[in-house]
Amino acid sequence: MIKINTSRFGMLEVKEEKVIHFASGLVGLPDLNRFFIIDHKDTPLKWLQAVDDPDIAFIVVSPTLIVEDYSLNLDNSVKQFIKLENKDDLAVLVTMRVDGEDVIANFQGPIVINSRAMMGVQVVLDRPEKTYQEVV
Amino acid sequence: MLVLTRKSDESIKLGDDITITIVEVKGNSVRIGIEAPSGLRIYRKELYEKIRDENFRASNLFMDEFTKINKALRSK
Repeated sequence: MIKINTSRFGMLEVKEEKVIHFASGLVGLPDLNRFFIIDHKDTPLKWLQAVDDPDIAFIVVSPTLIVEDYSLNLDNSVKQFIKLENKDDLAVLVTMRVDGEDVIANFQGPIVINSRAMMGVQVVLDRPEKTYQEVV
Repeated sequence: MLVLTRKSDESIKLGDDITITIVEVKGNSVRIGIEAPSGLRIYRKELYEKIRDENFRASNLFMDEFTKINKALRSK
């Protein structure tokens, strides 16, 4: 068990096997290598909370909740990086934020996770299948 | 900044594992080939900066923003 005193959710205990390892961190946050997912009760939203920084948590959601026919082609180098062998193990999340009156999802930098190996990486797409900021 | 002059098909080594090759020079664009270990994330700088800034903005939201986002998704 890992104990984390988060700034939003107070003291949390997380099982080691629930921790997702981001070997290269997230873009701009290379030192945050461990995250875990908190389901937010009664909503499809989740929080992606950093283990090593109590202040850092992203609101994330499956892109299919915003775009029904969402698809993502991953380079082999990305698949190798998270040791993805079976497509069924792949989970994709996009971060969301508020910008004035708009709600924005980051489709250009989706977070991909091998849910079997619990390894993840943020992919930067040259041309996202959906526009960079999908306004919900 | 170290500045080197290279021609098409010439390369630069960064340490032992990374090779950068000038593939083609055409007008003011240069095609560059990069060989690097798969663990090394390579980005176009402007995209890197865009996603980095997006991450910074998205990493510190609180419940009122959560409520807005949840409402927007519900209305989909």
